[in-house]
Amino acid sequence: MKLAKQILAIALAAAVFAAFDIAVYNVVTKRYINPNSEGMQAKSVELSKYLPFEENSEIVKLNSSFKLTDDLPVIDGAAALYPVFSAFVNAVYPKDSVRFDGENFTPDSALHYTNTRGSYKAIVDGDADLIFCAKPSEEQLAYANEKGVELELIPIGREAFVFIVNAENPVNSLTEEQVRDIYSGKILNWSEVGGKNRLINALERNEGSGSQTRMLSFMGDKEIKRNVFAALTGSAIGFSFRYYVEGIVGNSGVKMLSINGVYPDKEHIANGEYPLSSNFYAVCRKDDKNANLRALIDWILSDEGQKIIDESGYVTLE
Amino acid sequence: MKDKIFYGILIAVCVVGAAVSAALVIYTFQLYQHASIISYIANGG
Repeated sequence: MKLAKQILAIALAAAVFAAFDIAVYNVVTKRYINPNSEGMQAKSVELSKYLPFEENSEIVKLNSSFKLTDDLPVIDGAAALYPVFSAFVNAVYPKDSVRFDGENFTPDSALHYTNTRGSYKAIVDGDADLIFCAKPSEEQLAYANEKGVELELIPIGREAFVFIVNAENPVNSLTEEQVRDIYSGKILNWSEVGGKNRLINALERNEGSGSQTRMLSFMGDKEIKRNVFAALTGSAIGFSFRYYVEGIVGNSGVKMLSINGVYPDKEHIANGEYPLSSNFYAVCRKDDKNANLRALIDWILSDEGQKIIDESGYVTLE
Repeated sequence: MKDKIFYGILIAVCVVGAAVSAALVIYTFQLYQHASIISYIANGG
């Protein structure tokens, strides 16, 4: 009898630990497992997949009539636009102007990628001449003001700000007001918007990222509130830009939501029916005197530059 | 089973169990630091 009790006690102790580990793994750990490579996780985009001048690169390759050979504007930009500005470089710049060490662009390269936050800092600090991003955040504008730099934003294409949920979430569409109510904590459960009876875990991005800046602008006066209980048990909603979700990450486990009943595809962005479409920009310093910079911007706005934007999967200005 | 052996086995189970749980928590925290919204949502989060 004593032996049976002792074995039971040992088995119970092992079972408690096993149950704890299984619960932690299923409720928390497995949600954070990222199927992408380490390079993709570190940079938000697989740089080597979209390198200019590489035979197997997935960028759009265009034989441009416009070429630059010297005084090359140094280029940088956001993850969601990297395939586009890499294609611009491929079409216009000399091959030896881009130097990539296998993981990063080297300091003497004419092409860099430091994402939205890094790009806005680079252009203000004079480390880049032309960056490709969404609108700057208030903090980024304040940094430019503090350094006495005036930025010029030239619209070069259109993109959609999208909300994403798990592919198995039965909700396919929300109104703008419902999204604001979810993020401000007024709507807490998916059942309030036609979904299952589960808490809504409204996810945000890091401060200064292009999508977070767009989200704050979308929310207007409404403050974003986090529901800590939903973080463990809820079903998530997040936001990003359409091409980043669809083209760069291409994850079939998520789906984009229609907003006000309109799906964010190229057609609805182009005709203006999707309500959260907005321009993306080529951004330079107003006092930059490099003549090639203005010539490059003019070329980006020309048929050739716009063709790259279109064939890369984005929406052109017209 | 002698008490000494029983407690020895019980302590060993608890030590191994605690070590595995701690490793899982540390691993989860490391994943969290590099979490992507898109993969988090795709994983059912």
